[in-house]
Amino acid sequence: MHTGRFYLIATFIVLTASAFTLADAARWNLTDNYEIRFTSDDPSGIFTDLKGDIFFDANNLNASTFNMVVKVNSINTGNGMQNSHAKSAKWFDAETYPDIRFTSKSINKTSNGFSTTGILEMHGVKKEITFPFTFENNIFKGNFEVNRNDYKIGEPGGSASDVLKVALKVPVSK
Amino acid sequence: MKPYFFHGMVAGIFAAIAAIIYNRIYVFALAADFSMVVNLPGILASSFIGTVGASAGYYFFGRFIKKNTDIWFNLLFTIITFSSLLLPLSITLPLEISTPELFLGLTIPMHFMPQLFWLTSKPLFYK
Repeated sequence: MHTGRFYLIATFIVLTASAFTLADAARWNLTDNYEIRFTSDDPSGIFTDLKGDIFFDANNLNASTFNMVVKVNSINTGNGMQNSHAKSAKWFDAETYPDIRFTSKSINKTSNGFSTTGILEMHGVKKEITFPFTFENNIFKGNFEVNRNDYKIGEPGGSASDVLKVALKVPVSK
Repeated sequence: MKPYFFHGMVAGIFAAIAAIIYNRIYVFALAADFSMVVNLPGILASSFIGTVGASAGYYFFGRFIKKNTDIWFNLLFTIITFSSLLLPLSITLPLEISTPELFLGLTIPMHFMPQLFWLTSKPLFYK
C-alpha cells in the first residue's frame, strides 16, 4: 500500500517537473560583441556593459522573458569630458542610479518579427515601453526611442537632444 | 627668409621627436591605444605645421610690426597654442576607443611642444 502511494507521488512530481520543463523557454547567453548605440544630433554613443537573462522561444512567447541591465558607467560618447558629464548628478547620476534596467512583461509576434512590452528603468524612473525586435541567426536586433525628459535626465531643452534613438544588436548563444 | 625656414624645420624635428617619445611612454604607461587618431604621420604633420607656420608668421609679423616684434609675436603664439587646446577638448573620438578620458593627457602636452621647441631654438637662428 505504502509502496503504491510512493510511486503515485513520485510519478506526480516527475510529471509536474516535466510540465514546467516543457513550458520553459530556452535560455540564451550574451556573447561579447553586443552593441547598444544611442544617436541624436548631440550626443551619440554606446554603452559597453550589458548583462542579463534572456529566455526566448519563438514558439513559446508566453514563457519568454528579457531581464537586462546596462551599467551607466560604461557610457562612451567618444569624448572624455562628455562621458564624465553624462555620469554626473546633472544627467544620469551614475553614483545613485548605476543601472539601466529593462524587464519585459510580454513578448508578441508581429508581421516583421516580434515586439516586447516592459519596464524601462533609468535614473530611478520606471516607464513602460514597447518596441519591435527581430531574432535571426542568433542575433536580437531592436530599435526604439527614448525621451530623456520622461526619465528626468538633464534639463529639458538645451544643446542636448531630448529624444534619442536607441539601437540594440545582441548576439546570443546557447 | 632662409633662417626662418630652417628654424621652423629644426624646431619641427625636435617637436616631433619629443611628441613621439611622449606618445610611446604614455601609451606604454597607461595601456591606452589612440593609434587610430594619434599616429606617426599625424604627429609629424602637426609638429611641422606648428613650427614652420610659426616661422612664417614670425617673418611676416616682423615686416608689419617693427616695434617690440618678439613680445607681440610670442604673445600671439601663446594665444594660438592655448586656443588649439579646444581641438582635443571638443573632439569626438571613434567609439572603438574605450578610454577617451585619457586622450587629453596625451594630446594637451603635445600641443605645447611646437611652441616649446620653436622658442627654445629661436636664439640659434636670428642675430
